[in-house]
Amino acid sequence: MIDETLVLSARALKKWIRNPAAVVPGLVTAIFYIVLFGSSFNPTNLISSGSGGVPLPPSVIQQSFGGAPNYITYLTAGVICLILVFNMAFGGIDLVLDRQLGFLSTLLTAPIPRAAIFLSGVVQNLVKAMVLALLTFAIALVIPNGLELPSGFGVIDFLGVFFAFALLGLGLSSVFTAIALSLKSIDSLVAIVNFLTLPLIFMSNALFPSSSFPTWLMDIAGVNPISKANEAARLLIINGNLSSNQVSTFTGDILYLLGFAAVFGLIGYLAGKKALSAQ
Amino acid sequence: MTKIIEAEGLTKVYKGKVKAVDHISFSVEEGEIFGFIGPNGAGKTTTIKMLNTLATITEGRAFVDGHDVQKEPGAVRDSIGVVPQELTADDELKGVENIMLAANLHHVKGAEARKRSQELLKLVDLEGAADRKVKTYSGGMRRRLQLAMGLVHMPKVLFLDEPTLGLDIQTRKKMWDYIAQLNRERGLTVFMTTHYLEEADSLCKRIAIVDKGVIKVSGSPAELKQRLGGDILTLNLADSPLDLTDFFRGIPDVSEVTKTGQVYRIKLPNTERALPVIVEGVIKKNMQIKEISFTKPTLDQVFLEVTGKSMRDEDASESDSVTQNFMMERAR
Repeated sequence: MIDETLVLSARALKKWIRNPAAVVPGLVTAIFYIVLFGSSFNPTNLISSGSGGVPLPPSVIQQSFGGAPNYITYLTAGVICLILVFNMAFGGIDLVLDRQLGFLSTLLTAPIPRAAIFLSGVVQNLVKAMVLALLTFAIALVIPNGLELPSGFGVIDFLGVFFAFALLGLGLSSVFTAIALSLKSIDSLVAIVNFLTLPLIFMSNALFPSSSFPTWLMDIAGVNPISKANEAARLLIINGNLSSNQVSTFTGDILYLLGFAAVFGLIGYLAGKKALSAQ
Repeated sequence: MTKIIEAEGLTKVYKGKVKAVDHISFSVEEGEIFGFIGPNGAGKTTTIKMLNTLATITEGRAFVDGHDVQKEPGAVRDSIGVVPQELTADDELKGVENIMLAANLHHVKGAEARKRSQELLKLVDLEGAADRKVKTYSGGMRRRLQLAMGLVHMPKVLFLDEPTLGLDIQTRKKMWDYIAQLNRERGLTVFMTTHYLEEADSLCKRIAIVDKGVIKVSGSPAELKQRLGGDILTLNLADSPLDLTDFFRGIPDVSEVTKTGQVYRIKLPNTERALPVIVEGVIKKNMQIKEISFTKPTLDQVFLEVTGKSMRDEDASESDSVTQNFMMERAR
């Protein structure tokens, strides 16, 4: 099963790398969010205190944004989540195309476990999205006034950040792969994906701290796995060395994400398998 | 002979109402090319899909290579190769990459996969194009690659769904050559669907004509054509007061004679035996033959007879009426 999964994933990724048109838009979206959105929203200057229009002291901003030295440092994790969600969601287009063009049928008449077909969908979407996530991180780091990592930030912290994103990505990829395998037209995929992606992002702390949300939205954002991944990633990106309190928050987030990946992985697997059974 | 495909009362009802295949039974012997002939929507593709585990069976049973399609789909998938109607080779991958992918997905690996890929690419004359991306291929090249992809794991049974759809006549004939060669040299059993009657006639050992989900008639193309009552001989004689109608009717191997002016149309169940007798008789009566021609019955005529409609469409019509025309000017 692992063997077939790798063969199928390799095919999809080979196609992806060979076709720059498929890689570039994801990257451009990341650049737009980090460079344009991140730079244009500068709460330090935007929000004035008192009648004289005196800028807020940076410490107030840092407090609101979890101690981040600037907004882009806060935003980077959120944009990475956004990239993950969008790429998982629209990555399904390739799977729908495989069905429409008959490639899926040739897989279904071959002696391949159905699970391998589902898993290859999960893997290919996850790998594509994680590559874009890494590039997004790199872009945020290199631009002026961009992501500022704390002095203690090391390889372990970096791995911790991307472990959180990978768990989020795994759960999301399973769900969206199952959706894509169940659908026969790209139109219906786009409709469903549009309906799901923006609420998923807005009902989380991806772009703004959820502490400023109305209670009902704060409650939803609190259980959104995207918020958990952001929280975990930001703890490391902003603080580097974690206090014991922060370690327990981080551990809780990772456990939550493990649960999310396991539960939605299983749901996605069962739904995907059903979608692949003979009709 | 072993029956390698067996269908008993095979039925497919889509969404509880559309009966695509209606209680069909047939069997395919090992090593033969069996053709499923019928217009679009006759249930040919649905039958293939049931046999190759893509579609569930509503009613009835089917066995492929001794395995129950419903109970042992995995074992069936091990035995079959499928060349679907759609061109499923990947545009962005090279020809050789596509065939290697097909090999890997059938657990043919490494050196063995490379060896077989090269052999098959050679067989379908795609060696030169192996390292080109499939998006640069013509329709005929894609079909050939598709055929090679279906063979790379050396299946016992090959399912070919409309293997020459949309190909021009030369390319189509080339495909027939490949299929016939595979059957001849490797003993490959082929189950194919087509709506080109000429294709079925030249390739298939046995055919079944299907219409509206039902097998109307089955047998070898020759047997089916025989049912029509044989060849039609058209004899145009020089002016003469003699009427030879009764003379022709008296010949044992003549089944029907009609006369229009000096043109006789004679139905011959056995041309080989009747033709010399007819020609000899005409000469003995000192009659002069201006023109003689005969038309072999075609599967199209068989199709017309069993379904009440013609199978011909623009695509299939160019040469499936095999008219052999020879002028015999006898100056005596």
